[in-house]
Amino acid sequence: MDIFIQQILNGLSIASVITLIAIGVTLIFGLTGIINFAHGEFLMIGGIVTWLAVSAGLGFPIAVMLSILAVGLMGYVLERGLFRFTLERPTNGFIVSLGLIVVLQHVVVLFWNPNQKSIPRPLTTVWEIAGVRIASVRVMVILITIAVVALSFRMITASRYGRALRASVEDRDTAALMGIPVRRYITGVFVLGSALAGLGGALLIALFPITPFTGGTMVMKGFAVALIGGLGNIYGAVAAGLILGIVEGFSAGYGFSQWTDAYSFVLMILVLIVRPHGLFGGTSGPRMAS
Amino acid sequence: MNAGSALKPLRSLLPVLVILALIALVPLFSPSNRFLSLAISAGINVIALYGLSVLFGQTGILSMGHAALVGVSAYAAAILARDFGVGFWVALPVAAVASAIFAMIVGVPSLRVGGHHFVIMTFAFGQLLAIVLTNGGDYTGAATGLDIAGPVTLFGADVTELTRYYLMVVAFVTVAAVASWAIIHSSYGRTLRAIRENEKLAASLGINVGRHKIGAFVVSGVFAGVSGVLLAYFLGHISPSQFSSFPSIYLALMVMIGGARLIEGPLAGGILVAFLPEVLNLDPVQSRIVYGICLIAVIMLLPDGLIGGIVRALRGLFAGKAKQEAERDAAPSEARR
Repeated sequence: MDIFIQQILNGLSIASVITLIAIGVTLIFGLTGIINFAHGEFLMIGGIVTWLAVSAGLGFPIAVMLSILAVGLMGYVLERGLFRFTLERPTNGFIVSLGLIVVLQHVVVLFWNPNQKSIPRPLTTVWEIAGVRIASVRVMVILITIAVVALSFRMITASRYGRALRASVEDRDTAALMGIPVRRYITGVFVLGSALAGLGGALLIALFPITPFTGGTMVMKGFAVALIGGLGNIYGAVAAGLILGIVEGFSAGYGFSQWTDAYSFVLMILVLIVRPHGLFGGTSGPRMAS
Repeated sequence: MNAGSALKPLRSLLPVLVILALIALVPLFSPSNRFLSLAISAGINVIALYGLSVLFGQTGILSMGHAALVGVSAYAAAILARDFGVGFWVALPVAAVASAIFAMIVGVPSLRVGGHHFVIMTFAFGQLLAIVLTNGGDYTGAATGLDIAGPVTLFGADVTELTRYYLMVVAFVTVAAVASWAIIHSSYGRTLRAIRENEKLAASLGINVGRHKIGAFVVSGVFAGVSGVLLAYFLGHISPSQFSSFPSIYLALMVMIGGARLIEGPLAGGILVAFLPEVLNLDPVQSRIVYGICLIAVIMLLPDGLIGGIVRALRGLFAGKAKQEAERDAAPSEARR
């Protein structure tokens, strides 16, 4: 039983990071139709920024802030400089993101070598409750994610900006006709998605060491989650993130750890075959793209 | 149909054949072994790229798991050699068929899902294959991979030696180029282009879109299969990481840098990507950064790839009739959807 709870906790902490990527992925796709594979690299850069900041003697909370800011800024620059020009042809946006993967990974390798990077755990306390060992750092990751996801939800469902955003995801042209500055929302979503990836990277390096190539597998999991939940559907992404995290946690705990990475892909392929729009239904991208 | 229009397709093949003939003459200048190895790996990539150009350039669907198709045949060749003592020439068709079958297994569910998701599905299948190969125990040699021994002979002569292997790869590249040219100029190629330009319209004309897309994927699988066998016998050792998703990205990158629609494109892309680091004297890390920047620049500035861009610029110099041609042959939008 204690292993069971521990595995759920481990799974949830991984799920948190994946969910943070998946929200960015799903929002960007919903609004622009761009499959941004480079999102995992945004996460990796977030981890690297955190590592640099902590190595420079800054505290973890400040490092997290810096990472969110830096990656958010990067998202802004990349949207303004590159993705803005691919809005008419989302496939080109996807190809640009492939180029970015290669560039970002190797720029990091060039400056900070390809080895694993880790920071000392920001919280070292391990609670022991009825024989269950609970690492506080994992609880912290889960709580931060819950808070951020809840905040994003609130923003998207309750504020008028969120309503305008949802309208733009639903139908970009009509939304523009209603006076919603869709282009500005696209930039905003890139920045928000990148900032979430920055946070995800900071949380990830608090849990595990990362390498410049961590982004590749993480973005696939993020996409798996976004697709399982239905692209463009944030609720779906969160729910699917939970499912995947728990599945991965269990498989690691019960002796199939070498197959852990395969689950997200198998799950995604199965879901797409049975329900091409994901378990919870999604959009098939902006209509004007067709 | 007059003689001029019948000759036209042949004219488009000619430059490639001339270039390949020149490439085949390279050993006369006694190049270094390093040069030959680079050229051989470039050539092996080019074969797979010709398949990818049928898929992406003609049909308009992009596979991000193409290295997996190469990997299936490389592993098939290695396992055939180990367990059944099968040599190169028997392994070649068998492994190519294995790749084609794998392409079908991946293609049927992936294309059913359609559109944007196809790219992600092929990427996921590529990753899955690497995981399966890594966890395959002794049968697939796990993370270390498999060795493949045994000389390649042709008409009783050993072609394992570098120069001879080089010439054989050039011959295979020529076959691949001619095959891809034949597909482009057949009615089948026209059907594929109809699907690329407007899927719904093609379907309304009675074209079975799904089946043709899977067909194109299977055809590209055969190209990848041939390239996989050549790769396995050239390297003598294969491992899962060579066929995971990132090699697939590099394949897609090469075909896009060269330009997927023109017959010169794959050749140019493969050679450029292989020799760029040598020419600019870059280490692998720097050269990958340069590739990435090239890819982004090509997509943003020259959607038809480098060769497409050059051809368009040249044709722009001869206005009038030539301009119409340029518009038809190198339609400006690489991807409408």
